[in-house]
Amino acid sequence: MEISPSGTVRSHCVGTTAVVYASDYLNKLTGEKIERECRRQLSAGCRALVIDFAETQLVNSIGISILLGIIDIAEKNNAQVVFADVNNQTVELFQMLGLTRHVVLAKDEAEALSNLTGFDSTPVIY
Amino acid sequence: MTDAPSDNFRRVLGRVTREDFVGRVAELDRVVDQASADKRGRGLLLLMEPSAGVSELLRQAYDQLFNRRNEAIPIYFAFTRHETTAVSAAIEFLNSFLQQYVAYRRNEPALCHSALTLQELVELAPSSDLQWIEQVVQLYARVRFSNDTRELVRFCLSIPQRVPQGAGRPFVILDGAQLAEDLNGDLVLGPELLRVFTRSGFAFVLAGLRRQILNAAHEAQCNFERLDFLRLEQLSSEEAHLLVDHVARRQQVPMSREARDLMVQQFAGSPFFITSFLQAARERHTALVSYLDCERLYADELLGGHIHYHFEDLLEEIAPQLDTRLSLIQQLWESCASDEQSASVEAWRKRLRISGTEIDEVLRHLHIHELLNWKGATVDATTGPQTWKDYLKVSYRLGVLNEPRALVVADAITDALKRAPHTMALHYRQLAHLSLREVVSQFDCQRVPRILFDYSAYSQKYKGAPEAEIVQGLEEEVDVLKLPQIVHIATGESFNSDLRQVCEEDKCFVAHGFENGTYSDAQAVIWLVAEIDSKLEVETDLAELWSERLDSLARIHGFRRYQSWLISNEGFSSEASGRLARRGAFSSSKAQLELLVDHLGVAAAQRNEVESPDEFLMVVPMGADNELMAASTVEHIARRLRFDSTAINQIKTAVVEACINASEHSFSPDRKIYQRFRVENGKLTITISSRGILPSVGSGIASKTTTEFDDAAEERRGWGLKLIRTLMDEVEFEKVDEGTCLRMTKYVRNGSV
Repeated sequence: MEISPSGTVRSHCVGTTAVVYASDYLNKLTGEKIERECRRQLSAGCRALVIDFAETQLVNSIGISILLGIIDIAEKNNAQVVFADVNNQTVELFQMLGLTRHVVLAKDEAEALSNLTGFDSTPVIY
Repeated sequence: MTDAPSDNFRRVLGRVTREDFVGRVAELDRVVDQASADKRGRGLLLLMEPSAGVSELLRQAYDQLFNRRNEAIPIYFAFTRHETTAVSAAIEFLNSFLQQYVAYRRNEPALCHSALTLQELVELAPSSDLQWIEQVVQLYARVRFSNDTRELVRFCLSIPQRVPQGAGRPFVILDGAQLAEDLNGDLVLGPELLRVFTRSGFAFVLAGLRRQILNAAHEAQCNFERLDFLRLEQLSSEEAHLLVDHVARRQQVPMSREARDLMVQQFAGSPFFITSFLQAARERHTALVSYLDCERLYADELLGGHIHYHFEDLLEEIAPQLDTRLSLIQQLWESCASDEQSASVEAWRKRLRISGTEIDEVLRHLHIHELLNWKGATVDATTGPQTWKDYLKVSYRLGVLNEPRALVVADAITDALKRAPHTMALHYRQLAHLSLREVVSQFDCQRVPRILFDYSAYSQKYKGAPEAEIVQGLEEEVDVLKLPQIVHIATGESFNSDLRQVCEEDKCFVAHGFENGTYSDAQAVIWLVAEIDSKLEVETDLAELWSERLDSLARIHGFRRYQSWLISNEGFSSEASGRLARRGAFSSSKAQLELLVDHLGVAAAQRNEVESPDEFLMVVPMGADNELMAASTVEHIARRLRFDSTAINQIKTAVVEACINASEHSFSPDRKIYQRFRVENGKLTITISSRGILPSVGSGIASKTTTEFDDAAEERRGWGLKLIRTLMDEVEFEKVDEGTCLRMTKYVRNGSV
C-alpha cells in the first residue's frame, strides 16, 4: 500500500488503477485532499480511479461538488472513476445531486477493480 | 387590531420603529381601538405603574392612527416639567392640537415637529378648516387677555369640541398626566382635564400614574360608566428580554445573555430603567458582558447617571428645600433599612421639621409614585423598587453621612455584585417553581383525592411506586376532599410582616373562600398555606414551628374557621406528619402538589408559560468541522423521537449543510452558529442562525467572485440549500435583522420505528 505524500489520504495502485480511500467525513478539506491525490495518480499514469467510501459516514455538498470536479478531471484524462462501498444514505445524496449519472458504483473495492479489469484495452463507458 | 407596518408607513411621533417597539401589543391594540367610532364619548384611563413606560406606547398608537387616514384624527399631548402653570400647559395643548390637526388634514407629518405660531397655522389650514380655525384663534386672543385664568384653561381644553362635524373626529391622547397636578395655578389641571374631556362627547385616552388617576377621576366626579380602564404594569420577563435585545442592538451595546437576564431581573422589567441603563452603556462605550460590567455601570448610574437624575428630580419636586430633602432622604433610608413597616405620620413630620400640610403633600407625592405606602396616620417606607432603595442608600451615605465618594461607589458595586447571583437564583427558582398562589387560586369546589393532603398516607401507599400506578390509584381513591371556592388570596406577609423574616413572599398565602360555593358565615373558610424549604423530609420541630406560625396568624386576625396546609419538597417525617394530623393541618410533598395540579387542570396553562422542556440550544464556533458536533447532537435528539436511520441521516446532513451555509454567507462578527432543536408533537424543528450581514448583502459579494471561478463549480456550491429542501419537510428563512436564520422541520413518519 502506498501512503500519499500528504500523509492523510490513503491510496494504492493496482496496475494502472489507483484506489483512494475517503475518510469518515467528506467535506471541503478532505475532498480537496482526495482531489489532490487523484490528480497526482492521474499524472503518474493511472487510467482509472477507485474511490473507496467504506469509512465514510457523512458527506456534505462541498465534498460532493469536489467529487464532481474529480470526475471532470478524470474525464479529461480519459480515465474511468468508480465509487466503491458507498452507504445507502450517501448514495441517496449522490442521486439527488446527479452524481450517479456520471460514475459507476461498486459494492466494494474488489468489485470495482473487477469491473475495471481490461480497462486499458477497452473504451471508457459511463 | 394594530396595523402591520407597511413600506409606506410613516413614523410621525414614534421614537422607535414599530419593529423596535417591543411588548405591549395588546395594550397598543386597545389604545388604537379607543379611536374607533363605537367608542365615541368614552374615555380610556391608562393606569400606569411607575416606570412602566407609557409615552412610546402612546406615540406608537398615534402613528398607527395617523397612517390609517380615517375619520379619527389623532392628537397627542404630553405634559412636561417645562410647563410650570396650568395656564401655560393649557395654551401649549391648544397649540399642539391645532398643529397636529393641520398636519393630519394636510397629510404632512413633518408639520407636527415644526415651530409654528397660531397665525402660521391659520395660514396653513386647509380651506375646509380655515373658518373654524380662524374663529378659534380670534376667540383665543380675546380670552387670553381677559384675566380669567379658569376660562382660558377651559377654552384651551375644549378645543376638540370646536371641531365642526364633518371635519374629522379628534382623538386626544394625553400623556404624563401625573405632572398635570403639580402645575401651579388657581385650578388643578388633572381633575379639570377629566371634567372637560369626559363631558366632551368624544373618545380620549388619559395616561397617568395609577394611584393618581383614579383619585383625579373621583375628584372630577366623572361618570364611570363612560370610562374604560387599562392597567399598565412592568413588562413580563420575556417581553423585557426582547426589549433589552432590541435596545442593545439599537444602541450598539454588546451584551451577553447573562447580563441581559440580570438587567431584566434587577430592574424588574421596567422599560424606563432598562432603556436608561442601556443608553448609559452606549454613552460610556461600555460592553455589558459580565455581572461586573453591569454593576459598575449601575453604581455609576446611581451616583450620577440617568437613574440618579430621575430620582433626584423627583425628590426636588417633592422637597424643594435642600435641608428638608436631606432629612427626607435620611428618614426614607432609615425606615427602609430598619424594615420598620409602619411608622406614624406625626413622627415623620417631626423628623422632617415641616408643617402638617407639607408632610401631607410630601407623603402624597411619594405615595403616588409608589415609593412608600401612606395610609392615613401611618407610613410604610419599606416598599418601592430595589433601584430606589439603592439610590436612597448612596444618597444617604453621601449627602447625610458625608462618607467618601470612593467608598460609597465601591460599596455600591460590591453590594450589587453580591446581590446579583441571589437575584438570578430567585428568578430561576420561580421559573422552576409551580406557583403555589396560582394553584390555590384555582380551588373552585373540585373534588380531589384526600390523600393528596395527607403526606403520611400518601407515602405509605404510593412513595416509590411507578407513575402509572400512582395515577391509577388516585383515580380509584374513594375518599375525596371537596375544595373550597377561593375568592381572595394574598401573601402571608401582607397579614403579618414578621413572616417576611422567615419565608419568601411567594411561599406563604392566606386564601379566603367558601365551602360548597355557598356565601354564608357558616361556609366561610380560610386556608393558610405555607411551603417549607427543605431538601429532606421535614422533621417534627420545624413542622410544628410552621403549624404554630399559621395558628398564630389565625388567632391574631380572628379567623374562626381555617385550614392549615404545609407543603415541603420531600414531605414530612412520620412523627411530623402525625403531629400535623393531630393539629388538623394538611401536609403534602411536592409530588403530591404536582398531582393535585394535574387534577385541577391548571398544569397545562402554568407549564406553557415556561419554555418548552423539549428544547435544546447549542452554540458552536464556525469552522474546525464543528458542524459535526451539531450533527451528532441532532442525531441523539432525533433518536428520542424515534426517527428511522434514513431520516436521521437526512436530518444530520441538513444540519451540516445549514451550518456550512451560516459559516459561508454571514460574515459573522462573532463566528458562532446558534442552534435550537425543538421536539414537538411528532416533529423536530431545527433553527440554525448566525449573526452577520443579510444573505442579500452577501450575494453581491458572491456574484462578484463568480466571475473569477468556474461557473459550474460555483453553481455546485449552491447545492446546500437544495439538499436541505430535499431532505427536510419544511424549510424557511426567518426574518432577522442581521445574519441568517434557517428553520427546518422534519416530521416523524408513521413508518418510523
